[in-house]
Amino acid sequence: MKASLPRPEAFHSPAHTPTVSARLGLWLGVAFGLCFLTGLASHYAQHPPAWFSWPTRPVSLYRITQGVHVLSGIAAIPLLLAKLWSVYPRLFIRPPRRPPALVATHTAERLSILILLCAAFFELVSGLFNVAQSYPWRFFFIETHYAVAWVAVGALAVHIAVKLPVTRSAFAERPDPDRRAFLRTAWAASTVAVLATAGVTVPWLRRVSALAWRSNGGPQGIPVNRTAAAAGIRVPNDWRLEISWPGATHALSLADLAALPQRTATLPIACVEGWSATAAWTGVAVKDLLAAVGAPTDRPVRVASLEKAGLYATSTLPAAHVADPLTLLALGVNGEILSPDHGYPCRIIAPSRPGVLQTKWVTRLELLR
Amino acid sequence: MRTIRILLLAAGTALAGYGGWLLWPQLPYAAGWLIAGPVLHDALAAPLVGLAGLALGRVLPDRVWRRWVAAGLAITATLLLIAVPLVWRPHPAPPNPGLQDRDYTTGLAIWLTALWTGVLAGAVVSRWRERRAAARIDR
Repeated sequence: MKASLPRPEAFHSPAHTPTVSARLGLWLGVAFGLCFLTGLASHYAQHPPAWFSWPTRPVSLYRITQGVHVLSGIAAIPLLLAKLWSVYPRLFIRPPRRPPALVATHTAERLSILILLCAAFFELVSGLFNVAQSYPWRFFFIETHYAVAWVAVGALAVHIAVKLPVTRSAFAERPDPDRRAFLRTAWAASTVAVLATAGVTVPWLRRVSALAWRSNGGPQGIPVNRTAAAAGIRVPNDWRLEISWPGATHALSLADLAALPQRTATLPIACVEGWSATAAWTGVAVKDLLAAVGAPTDRPVRVASLEKAGLYATSTLPAAHVADPLTLLALGVNGEILSPDHGYPCRIIAPSRPGVLQTKWVTRLELLR
Repeated sequence: MRTIRILLLAAGTALAGYGGWLLWPQLPYAAGWLIAGPVLHDALAAPLVGLAGLALGRVLPDRVWRRWVAAGLAITATLLLIAVPLVWRPHPAPPNPGLQDRDYTTGLAIWLTALWTGVLAGAVVSRWRERRAAARIDR
């Protein structure tokens, strides 16, 4: 018996039609578009180019953009699979043999789709493993996920350019009941996937979302990404907070900090992995602290941690965040002194910032420019 | 529309090219992961879906039941896929309080039970409705 590949006509599922593919493609385009824009926002919030500044209001802005990023990625998983099932027979179209121009366009289109699929699967799979902090690979996640996002969005634009005429006529036609049932299933799978995970960032879904990678657990009711033990933190007995700017240095003990006017701010801590939690943070406003030692309050501040190694041992508070009265050097959370895992003796908590930049175990503030 | 298509084509090529340039240093480590998606899908996942569809057609000749069960299977597969990194962690980060401290297997089992109860109820109700509608037309 000679085994041969099936022909496109061999597939009979009602899903295999442009009316279905085009609609799934539109939903998928929206999900990927949201993912790309929010991902870009997160990238710029962490590595701001000179022309860019991330706003301090609303205080939940980063919580929202990063929540949307992760959840639109989750929603895209069943949509991508449904979309691919709908166009699967086209994989078996036999390539033309001539004329050369037709062969070339056919090959180019196939290649662009292959690139799009490589990028799309890669982004969804690597993102899904990253939120669970599981790393079964050897590439550097942040750099690679970012680079492939550009490939995905570029290949998607090419794909839309190629398919635009087909898509337009597909939308003019209304799908029959069987096709509508397939579309409804894809929509339902996407909704279920979001409900099963959204509890990472939507508090009232915490108990429902069985597949949320974060719970309310952790010391003082807030999850922890990097523990004091993992960061190798030992707070010296003579710990001082050093504040320096050109021409002056100031050192304050923990008692000095506690003696300054304290503020309490209810702010979310929102991680790049999409989880977030709100807490009442108490401490000295960075602005008040700088004013108290006679330092300028209108400049960016480099924050250094007791942590020696690690990508996030230092962060830079932009001038807008320094000037914001809600940006605290927190000494406590939810009415208690900060636990070691939350950054004892003190940590930065600023409105609308990625969690990795809310530096813990702070030991030095250095005014820039 | 021609102009829009040409602009999209040019912009898309430029953006993908920029991504490729950014990707270059990581490519040796990422290449296998990049190609794995389409290969696993086209050679494994999609044929399995096709076979499952054929089998479903044999086992459940009733169209209403087939629709509901197919939807149940699709949603089950989605939930299982999303659960993979939660239950399988080959190289996890150091222990993090609040991270993966839930019993995901039990949670998943509860969700699947609820899902299939819903599928069953949904199928029974729509079958009954269809019969009633058919009876009304006959009368």
